[in-house]
Parts: sequence; structure tokens; C-alpha cells
Amino acid sequence: MTLPVVVIGLSHKTAPVEVRERFASGSEVLPEVLARITARAEIDEAMFLSTCNRVEIIGLPKLASSHEESARLASHAIRETLRDHIGAHSIEELREYLYERTGEDAVRHVFRVAASLDSMVLGEPQILGQVKDAYDAAVAAGALRSNLSRCVSRAFSVAKRVRTETQLGAGTVSISSVAVDLAKRIFGDLGDRTVLLVGAGEMAEAAAKSLGQQARSIRICNRSFERAANLASHFNATAAPIEQLESELVMSDVVVASTASKNFVITRDLVKRVMKQRKGRTLFFVDIAVPRNVDPAIHEHIDNAYVYDVDDLESEVAENMRSRQAEVAQAERIVEAELALWLQWARGLNVNPTIVALRAKTRGVLVAELERSLGTRLKHLGEAERAALAQMIESATNKLLHAPTTRLKQAAGASDGNDLVRAAQHLFDLPAAPAPEPTSANVSPKKPAPESEERLPH
Amino acid sequence: MVNETVAEGLFYLTAAAYVAASVLFLRFLVRGKGDVGVLGPRLIGVGAALHAVHIVVASLVLHVCPVEGIHFPVSVASMSMAIAYVLARRRLKIEVAGAFIAPLALTSLLASRFVGSAEPSARTKSAILPFHVTTNLFGVALFTLAFSAATLYLIQERLLKKKRIDGVFRRLPPLDVLDRAEHRFLLAGFPLLTIGIITGTLWARRVEMGSSSEVLRSVFGYVTWLVIAAVLFLRAAAGWRGRRAAYGTIAGFGFAVVVLMFYLLRAPSPGTVTASRDAPSAAGLSLAAAAPPAPSSAVELAGAKPRRPEMQP
Repeated sequence: MTLPVVVIGLSHKTAPVEVRERFASGSEVLPEVLARITARAEIDEAMFLSTCNRVEIIGLPKLASSHEESARLASHAIRETLRDHIGAHSIEELREYLYERTGEDAVRHVFRVAASLDSMVLGEPQILGQVKDAYDAAVAAGALRSNLSRCVSRAFSVAKRVRTETQLGAGTVSISSVAVDLAKRIFGDLGDRTVLLVGAGEMAEAAAKSLGQQARSIRICNRSFERAANLASHFNATAAPIEQLESELVMSDVVVASTASKNFVITRDLVKRVMKQRKGRTLFFVDIAVPRNVDPAIHEHIDNAYVYDVDDLESEVAENMRSRQAEVAQAERIVEAELALWLQWARGLNVNPTIVALRAKTRGVLVAELERSLGTRLKHLGEAERAALAQMIESATNKLLHAPTTRLKQAAGASDGNDLVRAAQHLFDLPAAPAPEPTSANVSPKKPAPESEERLPH
Repeated sequence: MVNETVAEGLFYLTAAAYVAASVLFLRFLVRGKGDVGVLGPRLIGVGAALHAVHIVVASLVLHVCPVEGIHFPVSVASMSMAIAYVLARRRLKIEVAGAFIAPLALTSLLASRFVGSAEPSARTKSAILPFHVTTNLFGVALFTLAFSAATLYLIQERLLKKKRIDGVFRRLPPLDVLDRAEHRFLLAGFPLLTIGIITGTLWARRVEMGSSSEVLRSVFGYVTWLVIAAVLFLRAAAGWRGRRAAYGTIAGFGFAVVVLMFYLLRAPSPGTVTASRDAPSAAGLSLAAAAPPAPSSAVELAGAKPRRPEMQP
């Protein structure tokens, strides 16, 4: 194992929406969760990612007796944090919904998530923004400082490469656009239909974009009227306060709900009243919020009213996936190539202490010999000569260690790199290489570390 | 003889066009293969055109008005349905409803060959009866289309409620399109049915009700009118749309079919109808009026071949 990164979480692939909504949380909860996870002695760095379809904690453990042991302890700590997050007595009851990745698999997972290869709608652009938000929150909370920060930064580069080098993100694809496609399957043409967006966040904006000029009119209803009015002004829509929700529902045909509310905004009783006023005209709800905004009982019990949540959109999404298989394969190749580079770098973390120790020992021996000579036989030398000798010692150290340093770094990328490291330690009587120091690699403790890496995308 | 052969040939060509359309539509529905947006409706259109020519030729051969007898009206009704579909499918966006229409048209065409046969021995002098039969035939054609749309609606609605939105759901017309089509066909058919009921009632006053089946036929005719009227009224006044309207439409169509069955399967009851000597058998297709029994001229109308007397209804 190179770096014992651990990822534990749940997604649309492992848990239904009614389970995911127990874990989902808004940005206001992020600092609290991050504080809880970084307070754990087993965890050195962490990031908490919460989206509609995914909730996960990515953690880098503190040094233990081995990478495997570190990962095991970190896994336990992350599970307990998730348990506390949802206020459950035990996380074991939810074990079947959770996935866990460690080491190389965990890094691959992070890369794939950022590149939208693990999204419900492949190539959808929102996920990268959500990962960046989670990254920023973790950095601000001091939870990301060094190697895990590099890992996530690298994931941004991977996502950027996938977007620029493949057509995975081509076309307007998002949960919202898929929802609009489904509405068209029910109504045929939206040209004589009114679409109501409940909520005025990113998802509502994406839905408004997907609708474009297709709908007769777009109405936006939000708790904050100001925000609704702001969004409405961009899309030639009409804004309404949440208090008018009932009358808005009466005049609408398609409702896209995406608020951050933890409770149902649209209840069965409300829709019962609305359907009477609508004289039974079909009303289609697409609930893309997690936690859900629309009571699913409406779908079961009210005629001509249909409620679809994010999980129900999967078959629509499957169509989208089928046409993108070639792009997916290309994107996966990019992920693997980037993962190989990352692993090479990460293995270098094992070599660096040995190189530093070798260099320190060599230089130490030479400097000690020089100082002994300068104190006795070379006592007469002036400052200029002494400086020249010091320079000579530096050059000699560099030249002498150039070949072994290069070979060790090259070996770091190979599978048998550790053998060479152990040989060097044995031959030069160097201390055994410890697990990578999280704050090494020229990183100040409170800042993310990527200056020696490629530039971050933001 | 030549004309009989032509009529026979047209019959088979019509059947072939309907079979081809049925296969095309069913293949599309079951396997999702083929393009039914253009070819399917065109095949039904070709079938309807051949069907119309067949009816004209066969009626000329037999010297029978197409609205007389039993099997001719059945044939005319199915042809009207196919024509109405071809005319309305693009405006109502119900191309895939051809999956219902083509087999129904085929079944009606084949049925017309085997049920009833009548070349009236006497012609009526009344202008009411042909008018009555014609309006009823067109009404039945439109109700069949409404029934098809309602059935497809219920299938779509069930799939949507079960959240099975791949496969067949994608191939059928959108839910609201079907609801709208069903309503439009009902609206178009209802005035024709109403005229049929009125003219049938007027005609019934001239004849004497004989068997109980004739009474029942009249009762079911009025019930059909009431059910369709209720579906339209409740939709406008109480918002009975979607599933309820579809069930109502299917029920109304069911009653219409019962009336048709009473007529097609009726037993001849000589001597019970005083006006029978003057009345053509086509009056029996009326959804409301009790019509006299069909005269027993032995001509197989569908194929323009004489039928044996023992096969008379």
C-alpha cells in the first residue's frame, strides 16, 4: 500500500434515496462533521463530500505500526463519525449500504468521482464543483493539509483532463436535463405546459437551462423570494414566494423540486387540494432533492399525479450511459494513467526519507572530517579558502549521491522499489524508512501542499 | 365474374396491407425495432384506400348500398376507423396507436367476410335509415379509436405508476397525448352517436319491437349514449380525466360492442316486424333502434361471392 487513503460512504449505486437522505447534509453542517473527524486521533487529514447521490468521508490515517493497521483504525474512526452524523446507535445496521476503498483503490475512487465517472449521469459537470466546495471547506477547516490535499488536487487535474480530452461531458447532461426529458415523455411537448421550479439553487438553475425555450412558461417558487426573483430574471421566468406554492401548483404541469429542506415541501394533503382545483389535469413531480421534497405517497394514492425521485431517473440515465461507453473507456484510461503517476509520486514518499538520510550521513561525515582538519592541520586557512572548501564538500556530496539518488527515485515507481530502499538502508546503515510524514515535502502545516505538483485547476 | 375476381383480389390486398402494418407495429412495440412513424401509418393508409375500393367494387357487384346488410357496415366501420386514424394521427401525435388500429381493422375486415350476409330484397324508401346507419358507423369508428387511445393510456399510466419507464413506455405515445386523443375522438364521435340515437328512435317508432334481444339492443344503445355523455360531462365538470375517463371510454365502447353483437348474432324472426318488408337490414346496426331482421339474400359481401342459404344468420 502506498498511501493508506481510506474512503467510506454511500452513493446511488449502493443505497436507495431513503437511506441517502439520512446522511445528506447542507454546507452548513460541513465544519461540524470535519471537526468531528479531525478530532479523531486515528485521522490525520479528511474531507467530507455530500451531494444528492453521494455522501462519503475521505481520510488519511495517522501513522500506526503499518499502513494496513493505519487504514483499519481510520476505517473504524470514519464509520463512527458517520454513525454520529446520522445520530444512529450503530453503523452496522447500514453496513450493506456503505462502500469502503483503501490505498490505491481509494485514490482511484476519488479520481473517478471528480471526473464524473461514478456519477448517476456520466459526465455531469456539477460533481466537480461539489468536490471543489468540499475541498475548500476541508482546507478552511484545517482538515486538508498535505498528502490527501495533493490527492484531491490531483483529482481536479484528472477531471480537467477527462473534460478536455474526451466527449464525456459533451451535450447538456444533468439530472435536471434527464428530468426534463422524462417530462417530455409524459406530455409529449412542453410547448403548452408550465414548469414550476421549487427551489432556486444550482439544480433549479440547471433545470431552467435544460428547459430553455421548450416550456410555455417557467415559474420559480422559493423560500427566499429574492433568490427566486434573481434566478427568474436570468431565464425570463416568473418568481413567487413559497407561500403561494399551492396556487403555483394549480397552474403548473411539471414540478421540479430541488430545495435543501429536510422535510417534505409538497405533501399529500396539499396535492389532494391542488388536484381538485386542477380538475384532474396531470401533474408530474420530479424530485431531484436529497432529502426528498415531495411526499412519495402522492404517487401511490393520487390519480393523475406522478412523483419521480432521483433513483427513478436511473433508467433514463442508463440510456445516456449506453451512448457514452466509448468516452467512458477513454476517460477510464486517463484515470489509470493519472493513477500510475500518482502512485509513482506516492512511492517516492517512501524513498525520500532514505535519500535524505543518506545525504545527511554523507554530508555529515565529510563536514565532520573537514572541520577536524580545519581545527588542526588547516588552521591557517583564511575565510575565503574555508568557504571554497565548504563549497567543495557540497559539490562532492551532490556528485557522489547523484547516481544513487536518481536510482532510488526511479526505483520508487517500480514494484520492487522497496527492495532497493532496504538495500541502501542496509549498506549505509541508515535508519529504516518510516511511514511518510504527512507534513513533509516542503509543506507548511496549515496550508495545502501542491506547489511541487502541477497547478491546481482553481 | 371479372368484377367478383377484382373484389376478391382487393379484399386480399387490403388484408395484406393490414397484416403488414400489424406486424410492423407489433415488432416495434415488442422489440423496439423498425420505424413506425412513417411506414406504419402509410401501410394503414394504403390498406384503408384498398379497403374503400374493395367496398365500392363489391357493392357495385352486388348492387347493394354499403350501409346495408351486416358485413358491409362492419367493413365500412373498420375502413372509417383506419381513415380517421390516418387523418388524425399526425395532429394528435398518435402514430403508435396504429399498433391497435391495424389489427382491429384486419379483424373487422375478416369478420365482415364471415358474419352475416345480406343483399336486401327490398329497398326502403325512407331517407332516415341510411343516414342513421352511416352516422352510427362513423361513430363506432371514432369510438374504436377512442377505445384504442384509452387502452394505450391505461397501459402507459400503469407503467408510469409502476415506474417502469423503459422498454414499451418509451415506444408508446406520451400519456397526455393519449388522454387528449381519447377525448377528441369521443367528442367527435358523440354527435354522430347522438344523431344515430335520434334517427334510430324515430325509425323504431315505425317498426314493432319483436324479440327481447331487440329491446335489449335498444336499451344498450341508450346506455352507450348515456355512458359516453357522462364521460364527457364529468371530464368537463368534475375533472374526470386520465384513468377514470379511460375506464369510462372503454365501458362506453363495451356497450357499443354489445349492441353490435346483439345485431350480428341476432336470430331471424320472421313475422315479428311489420315494417320488415320495407326495411333494409342495415337498420339493425343502429345502436338504439330496434331494426328488422336482415333479409336473406345469399351473397358473401366481403369476397363478393354468393353464400349458401344455410349460412344465413
